[in-house]
Amino acid sequence: MTNSELNRLKDKAFQVFGIFCTFIGLVVLAIFLIDIVVEGAKRLDWDFLTSLPSRRASKAGIMTAWVGTLWILVLTTLIALPLGVAAGVYLEEYGKKGRWANFLEINIANLAGVPSIIYGLLGLEIFVRQMRLGSSLLAGALTLSLLILPIIIVTTREAIKAVPRSIRDGSYALGASKWQTVWNQVLPASFGSILTGIILALSRAVGETAPLIVIGALAYVPFTPSSPLDEFTVLPIQIFNWTSRPQEAFLTNAAAAIIVLLLLTFLLNGIAVYLRNRQQRKVKW
Amino acid sequence: MSKKHNKLEAKNLNAYYGDFHALKNINIAMDEKNVTAFIGPSGCGKSTFLRTLNRMNDYIEGFRVEGDILLDGRDIYAKDVRVDELRKEVGMVFQKPNPFPKSIFENVVYGLKIQGIKKKSILEEAAEQSLRQAALWEEVKDKLDKSALALSGGQQQRLCIARALAISPSVLLMDEPASALDPISTAKIEELIYELKNDYTIVIVTHNMQQAGRVSDYTAFFYMGELVEYNKTKSMFTSPKNERTQNYITGRFG
Amino acid sequence: MNQLDIELNRIKTKLMEMWDLVEYQLQAGREAMLTANKELAEQVVKRDRKVNQFDIKIDRMCENFLALYTPVAVDLRLVLAILKINSNLERIGDTVEGVAHFVAKLDAPFNLDLLEQTKVVHMYDEAEKMFANCRVAFINNDTDLAKQVIKHDKTLNKIYRKSDKIMTQYMTAKPDMIAEALAILSIIKKIERVGDQVTNIAEEIIFYRDAKVVKHKSDKKKKKKEQ
Repeated sequence: MTNSELNRLKDKAFQVFGIFCTFIGLVVLAIFLIDIVVEGAKRLDWDFLTSLPSRRASKAGIMTAWVGTLWILVLTTLIALPLGVAAGVYLEEYGKKGRWANFLEINIANLAGVPSIIYGLLGLEIFVRQMRLGSSLLAGALTLSLLILPIIIVTTREAIKAVPRSIRDGSYALGASKWQTVWNQVLPASFGSILTGIILALSRAVGETAPLIVIGALAYVPFTPSSPLDEFTVLPIQIFNWTSRPQEAFLTNAAAAIIVLLLLTFLLNGIAVYLRNRQQRKVKW
Repeated sequence: MSKKHNKLEAKNLNAYYGDFHALKNINIAMDEKNVTAFIGPSGCGKSTFLRTLNRMNDYIEGFRVEGDILLDGRDIYAKDVRVDELRKEVGMVFQKPNPFPKSIFENVVYGLKIQGIKKKSILEEAAEQSLRQAALWEEVKDKLDKSALALSGGQQQRLCIARALAISPSVLLMDEPASALDPISTAKIEELIYELKNDYTIVIVTHNMQQAGRVSDYTAFFYMGELVEYNKTKSMFTSPKNERTQNYITGRFG
Repeated sequence: MNQLDIELNRIKTKLMEMWDLVEYQLQAGREAMLTANKELAEQVVKRDRKVNQFDIKIDRMCENFLALYTPVAVDLRLVLAILKINSNLERIGDTVEGVAHFVAKLDAPFNLDLLEQTKVVHMYDEAEKMFANCRVAFINNDTDLAKQVIKHDKTLNKIYRKSDKIMTQYMTAKPDMIAEALAILSIIKKIERVGDQVTNIAEEIIFYRDAKVVKHKSDKKKKKKEQ
């Protein structure tokens, strides 16, 4: 066998190995999804979505859980979006480059890596106890905002950095101030990327359970929350709760709730992918 | 011909990027309604000097200027001069066409809009006038609401010129405005420069010696941060006084 | 019109002004010769300085144009042609000045009989006609007319070749008129030179329009025949 034939064989072997590795992950995920769907699909109907939780598995629904999740989603967006984008813009456009900026930068990157349970403890101390918000939606949203803030800041900075210098120069040269340049040129040009980052961060927040449990979100809430200060539950907690029950029927309920939760995250990720693609198509510098 | 007055003047101008001495004691006076070309090898300071003329270097960290730059006799680095006011007077066109990712119309009226002008009729009139001045009106009049990024490179550059003209400056700085364009587009830009010369004082940085010869009335040769020679383009191209100028324009440099 | 064309037109216009001036000089020279008008002759001599100024000016314009616009192809050939036409025009101007010098020294008008015999007036007319045609050829870019001008030069050469003989006869017959005869002979020589210079100009016109070199063609032919 010549050297080049050997090389080609090695190449082929690696390809096969690569395909194998790729499939391991996909197959496991597929098995899991199929299992869940088979288990939960029969339980998933309109009643399930509109019923309040109950001690009897056949009567229990996820109304309070998904409404709670939506509340959390909206509140977290409203809190984290302006804060994160503003902080990102400040750090990228206004902040003087220096030791202080480096220090901030490293810490924000570190914050993004802090385990979510720690944020839960932080939220419990500050929002629930100090600010006396109790185990309310607002406290939960604030806690999750803290959790995703570093991600939003970092994405915003990256998105802003990707706006070419020439656009800023063009704006400055026409007599625009820094703020006018940021508001009229930089943010619109980078908004797609920023939004993508935010949605991905939110889809992470939607799946978070630990911090919300720590701040005292309840599993059993017999009413849908109607103000940010109400107590609440969310889908992951409901699922967690049901899976820990001994009865078989509750496991089926959990599977159905998982389908809903997965659909929600897939939807968010789908929107993010769509926005990113549109952004890439639209902008060619 | 009536005597033209000094539009732009630099007196004992020194500029630094941190420790690097980028411009060394520049003295130059540019007449109004003339085209002055800056030539010189890369890194000779010609672009730096151009960008000090509308203070585009202000945002660069560690950049500082000593000496005076006078626009109509007024020091543009004086404390009471507002940068945005200065840039309304001194427009700039860049090397790479840099239209904003917006419609053609929005591009042209951007400068006016940020001044707070909102009246549609004023904006439309200004847009048409500056697009005509930039010899682009006929090509784009039916698609003003289309994205500026869909235009060809040459059209984009003329759009950028129109955008600069819309805020009616008296000086137009051009940083290698045709270096990224094909020969036909380049010729169009050069044509435009002849036209604009009647109303504007134009300063153009170029690496293309022939372009400097074709478009400019005066040429300044920069080398290693110094202004080596400044003269009528005719004299410079037929009988340069300085040997370094001669070597550079004949392509025998180094 | 682009700037290059504008500049080229400026040079062309300047050249045409010079052309007109030289044409006027030619006519004035002829008039002075026929009428022995010393005053007119002196004016011709003086005016030649103006022709020389044109020469310098056009040279300078061409130099600037080449330096600033780096023309190629037809533009380049036009500038090269203009440079040469310019120096030929200047020399025609000098030649006419030479004729005028002779006239200025005259005490009396030339003997009409002599003028008639040597055909010098006819020759002068032919030269003027060539000169005028050449001008039309240049303005209209008419290479056919330019070729005719070149052919026309043979008429002048013929008259010139015969003039020697006529003069010898004349001078032997009338030894007291030798000075005058010599003057006319010199003038004939000068007009023949004008013919050559107009031919050169016509050749430049063909070069500029068709990018063909027509000068020195006869030399090559002769060489071929010899071989």
